[in-house]
Amino acid sequence: MGAWRVRSMWITGLMCAAAAALAAQQAPPALVTEQEILAGLPPDGSRWLTFGGSPTNQRHSPLAEITPENVTRLAPQWTFQTGALGQFETTPLFRDNVLYVTGPSNLAWALDARTGREIWRYRRELPSNLTACCGLVNRGFAMLGDKLFLATLDAHLVALDRRTGSVVWDAETEDHATGYAATIAPIIAKNKVITAVAGGEYGIRGFIDAYDAQTGKRAWRFYTIPAKGEPGNDTWAGDSWKTGGAGVWVTGAYDPELNLLYYGTGNPGPDYHSESRKGDNLYSNSLVALDADTGALRWHYQFTPHDLHDWDATEVPVLADLTIGGQARKVVMFANRNGFFYTLDRTNGKIIVAKPFVTTTWAKEIGADGRPVVQAGHVPDEKGSLTCPDLTGGTNFWQPSYDPATRTFFVNAREVCMIFYAWKPDYTPGERFTGGAGQRAKSADNQPYGVLRALDPATGERRWEFKYLNLSTSGLLTTASGIIFSGDGDGNLLAIDSRSGKLLWRYQMGANMHGTSPVTYMVDGRQHVLVPAGTTLTAWALPR
Amino acid sequence: MRWAGLVTAALLWSAVGSSSSAQAPAARNPHEGNADAIRNGMGLYRSRCADCHGMDARGVRAPDLTQVWASGRNDEGLFNTIRRGVPGTEMPAFVPPRTTDTEVWQMLAYLRTLAAPAPTDPPRGNAQNGERIFRTTCAGCHRVNGAGGRLGPDLSRAGASRSRERLVAQIRRGFEDSGPGFSPVTITPLEGPPIHGVKKNEDLFSVQIMDTNERIQGYEKDSTKGVVNERRSMMPVYGPDRLSDSDLDDLVSYLMTLRGFNPAVPQ
Repeated sequence: MGAWRVRSMWITGLMCAAAAALAAQQAPPALVTEQEILAGLPPDGSRWLTFGGSPTNQRHSPLAEITPENVTRLAPQWTFQTGALGQFETTPLFRDNVLYVTGPSNLAWALDARTGREIWRYRRELPSNLTACCGLVNRGFAMLGDKLFLATLDAHLVALDRRTGSVVWDAETEDHATGYAATIAPIIAKNKVITAVAGGEYGIRGFIDAYDAQTGKRAWRFYTIPAKGEPGNDTWAGDSWKTGGAGVWVTGAYDPELNLLYYGTGNPGPDYHSESRKGDNLYSNSLVALDADTGALRWHYQFTPHDLHDWDATEVPVLADLTIGGQARKVVMFANRNGFFYTLDRTNGKIIVAKPFVTTTWAKEIGADGRPVVQAGHVPDEKGSLTCPDLTGGTNFWQPSYDPATRTFFVNAREVCMIFYAWKPDYTPGERFTGGAGQRAKSADNQPYGVLRALDPATGERRWEFKYLNLSTSGLLTTASGIIFSGDGDGNLLAIDSRSGKLLWRYQMGANMHGTSPVTYMVDGRQHVLVPAGTTLTAWALPR
Repeated sequence: MRWAGLVTAALLWSAVGSSSSAQAPAARNPHEGNADAIRNGMGLYRSRCADCHGMDARGVRAPDLTQVWASGRNDEGLFNTIRRGVPGTEMPAFVPPRTTDTEVWQMLAYLRTLAAPAPTDPPRGNAQNGERIFRTTCAGCHRVNGAGGRLGPDLSRAGASRSRERLVAQIRRGFEDSGPGFSPVTITPLEGPPIHGVKKNEDLFSVQIMDTNERIQGYEKDSTKGVVNERRSMMPVYGPDRLSDSDLDDLVSYLMTLRGFNPAVPQ
């Protein structure tokens, strides 16, 4: 007995010593720093820390193990299923061989990137009176320190402990019962979490918010519609600004050198009825450049003044430094729902390029003053008017990508026209407030189609295109080896040569990559491509 | 994906499910006759319903909605049909939060303004003879109550899903928009004669068909010499030379009696 006890103590002592030695070897998990986020995607593939890969939103990876030559050998490594209703629209984040993934209906997970096995799961109770217009979706986490940040469907911003998924703080941005919701992936700037709200179909007044990442205390708010007495409020007739919408539901970009955040804003409400809100309706359908410290507006560019076709400018802004006409330019590139592709000077919002990238009938061109030269006959009424593009637009919230080596901007575009109708609506808080509708125009000779287009951002000219049979709503990922990963409108995951547009490889996923794009990273020395589609995540790599 | 759950046309008249609802809708449309509701309903109808039911609601590949009230349906039943959809057809459920109760009533308020009175014309045609004509002329491709071919749409609910005028027009003049699952297609294999059939699904790389022998099969496009989509429906045109006016009356009279699969009908 005594001998046993002695031996037991001796063993216990050994174990303690071993644990201490182990602890010395295994430092606590490194905190995510803002420097890492700003550095973007590293050549070693060790992280994907923010929505667009880097604050530029280029979604271009330096990884090159998977090449146009060997991509046909890609093999599935594992599949994760949400086991829940609703679809992924998310960009997974990756760090230390762990994936952080948001799903539909306020679900989220930490997954082992080696096996796809769940480490923790977060679930938030949904209130019964949600007013999310367009699906109970979420576009991804932001990450800083030991925390993850999630914008919830009931318009809260919550911070989760990265190691457990438990809530660290919970901030209400606005009362969801009055039409506010959030689906956006937040980003980090100056140790603040930048988020925003949806609800342009419910008569909200949109805003972009910044919260202290440590405490959840709000640092600033920028209203996308100026209040009475503020510059721009006179672009709304009467009290129409109060229910003017201009939600923000797609993630913006950040330039730390200029200290500017760039966000696209949503449509004015009611969506289609002109008489209800005469004027330009600032800052709806605009790109706004905000001071990252204060949220003050530094400049804006309105793509579609007095929009009547629900053309939210909620597409993803992409930053790059280009040489145009022999001059070095800091630009922001923007393929807009209204059918035009824009390259703007991101220091001041002035237009460098504005050119249609799909069939566009509502405006002849963008004038030298930056305003569209509008064509007659495109004001919706009760009889209906035919306009291209349709309300979903030339493109939409799905992510474009940009290859800085070839200076090519890639976008999944749509060739669709629509008959738009409008009538005078009544406003009831929490009820839909659109004042119209659209019917897709098609005939045997004019079938809508989706198409991947490669554009030169210095001219807006098309370099190549890859046509789909149906409309694609997939985001994009490019790699330094010259591959672009996309999804068509029929559930196919596609690998395409980013220099020629030639199809290299395909796989039928069984669901569209709706609003998702693959991300890529290294696990144990092998490049992985992770693809969210429908209710599944599938990781691909070359065979060992 | 587009054509998942392929069946015949969506049949709005028929199925009102028996499932209970926690919050029962008002028995009568509270928005009926309200001008604002009708205008809202018009837009909602045009954007969400008109593709299948037609801008004039007289039916394209889904039923004619102008006679639903005349045929005996009531507001509550129609509300439930829109809310729950019609299982086994293309008619989806329009559910909250995307579609509010108010919006469903607004659509119905608009449809009410298009509603036609019950037909007063004396019934034409002999349905019994029409059934005989159907069995000899149509049943090679169309199925009714479990008997007949599968290449064309099942017509067990033809009387509920199509107006008399539309049936006459399709039989007499044929048509181009065959609807999902019935578009004619010709596949030329690398070896052997062309295969004719109707298209069940397609993506960039493959096509799935039912051929004229009712064989369902998928083909990789790379492994064929070509896949050609035809415009005209596979349904032959029956002019007066092939089907007299009187026989047409009899046939349509029979089709109008078909209101849903009835297993009790002797084959």
